[in-house]
Amino acid sequence: MSDAQQPDDTTAHTEHEHHDTEGPGYATPQAAIEESEPEEVAYVMGLYVGTDVDAPDFLGVVDVDPDSDTYTEIVDRVEMPNRGDELHHFGWNACSSSCHMDGLERRHLVIPGQRSSRIHVVDTKDRRNPELESVIEPEEVFEHDLSAPHTTHCIPDGQILISMLGDADGDLPGGFLALDENFEVDGRWEPPGEIEMNYDYWYQPRHNVMVSSEWAAPKTYYPGFDFEDVEAGNYGQRLHVWDWENKTVEQTIDLGEEGLIPLEVRFLHSPEATHGYVGAALSSNVFHFHEASEARSASEQSSGDKPRDGDEWRAESVIDVEAREHDGWDMPVPGLVTDLLVSMDDRYLFFSNWLHGDVRMYDISDPANPRLADRIWAGGHFGDPAPVQDRELAGGPQMLQLSLDGERLYWTTSLFSSWDNQFYPEEAERGSVMLKADVDPRNGSMSLDEEFLVDFGDLPGGPARAHEIRWPDGDCTSDVWQ
Amino acid sequence: MTSGSSAHDVALEWPDGHEERVSVAEDEPILSAAEHAGVALPFGCRTGACATCTGKLLDGRIEHTRPPRALKQRHRDAGYVLLCIAEPRSDCRIAVGADIQAELVSNPWR
Ligand code: FES
Repeated sequence: MSDAQQPDDTTAHTEHEHHDTEGPGYATPQAAIEESEPEEVAYVMGLYVGTDVDAPDFLGVVDVDPDSDTYTEIVDRVEMPNRGDELHHFGWNACSSSCHMDGLERRHLVIPGQRSSRIHVVDTKDRRNPELESVIEPEEVFEHDLSAPHTTHCIPDGQILISMLGDADGDLPGGFLALDENFEVDGRWEPPGEIEMNYDYWYQPRHNVMVSSEWAAPKTYYPGFDFEDVEAGNYGQRLHVWDWENKTVEQTIDLGEEGLIPLEVRFLHSPEATHGYVGAALSSNVFHFHEASEARSASEQSSGDKPRDGDEWRAESVIDVEAREHDGWDMPVPGLVTDLLVSMDDRYLFFSNWLHGDVRMYDISDPANPRLADRIWAGGHFGDPAPVQDRELAGGPQMLQLSLDGERLYWTTSLFSSWDNQFYPEEAERGSVMLKADVDPRNGSMSLDEEFLVDFGDLPGGPARAHEIRWPDGDCTSDVWQ
Repeated sequence: MTSGSSAHDVALEWPDGHEERVSVAEDEPILSAAEHAGVALPFGCRTGACATCTGKLLDGRIEHTRPPRALKQRHRDAGYVLLCIAEPRSDCRIAVGADIQAELVSNPWR
């Protein structure tokens, strides 16, 4: 955590002298806001896994350019070579963390199959017509006693790191798989046994830290959600704080009952920041995690190498979504906070309550005290789901993506095929939608854009689910700065 | 015992009444045999962990070649099987299709 842990080119990093390097991404989060053009295409996961539609999952190219004739249409689809993948989360081969890597391009999407453990590499040189480039077969993944790939981040040296939720049998422990710059399996990233459960992770290289979260063993969550598993302790409630360079867990934070199933992890974008958030889905809380300042200054004062004893990182629940009574249902229903993101200027936090049906926007100028700024109801089991352009909404707001300038928030409605079937069975028949809100960052407000609707229910193969969204020029949920 | 020599007649029945019959050798997972016969069944992990391929055995006997991790004891007792790791030991009738997997879990708040 000290400056001694910085890579060799510390000076360039600190001063952001980028004029003589041509790496991908933007020099700073502020540069991403100022220099980026409005998004013209979105890459969106489309799924047929687990349905009777005999078609593979695909990468959808959605036209989000309002001046285009094909605005809001799925203009291209890259079909995967196999069925049964459950494409879920995906990432770029390079992001702003590689801004000093001359010649590296943000060009390839690494797209894992959650159920199949197959990993696809798609070349997006032609943005509107991406092409499948190569495939890592499940056997190559199982060889490292890992399965169920989830979050994909490029890491600064050109490698790709993927969180893996299970062992080769779909049991615990999970771990991390590294790919090399040629998209071949490099091996396990961490010494096995550092963690049991895994899910999402985010790293902050300037502070030599990574935070990872916990879902469950694949065999637990794959078939669907069962209270028996919660009672048996089969779901996660901990965060792991890693020494990024040493690849070891330095601290584990038990979030307790308020932190059941901590999913998406987001650090603030500023590379200086030691604040972040994680959403706990089942208990429907948002936790603020941060490096505790007393402990930090103490360790800074201690000379030379760390030993870093004590709990240097803390996590506190700062937003609590109350469960709500639903007519005709036996028990109060949690919001189910399934995705969250931080705007590129680190000013707003957005999250989705998949079961309730609202998307919320919080002002996080004071990171420990988020203030509700606005919210939108769209679909879900509450809030009187109104159709958009006569299209009935079959699910609730789920995966979110925000434009780099923070003015357009998009989301899709599918969570995970088997979980969708439990909570929104109509989604299998109707397919997902992609929706959008216009965000006013000055006033801290947002409004649903009724003109925008991408209907995944209306495809040649049959209705598809839609999941994560990415932009070609980097996003609020993938770019990291050194 | 030489495996592969004896094959069984496996009837796959969808909830909508559609039915397919596939001949499956004793050393062949029912999912693979169906695929080779051009019959599409849902699947995911192919290792017995995800339950996407769940069917319900209506008649006959199967053997799982690996532990069916995705099924709880109550599911196994009720006759659910994982077709990616299930081999027939007799002629079988099996209810199949995505709706069978969905029967394993319901909305717990409802
Ligand atoms: S395909 Fe996953 S259990 Fe059979």
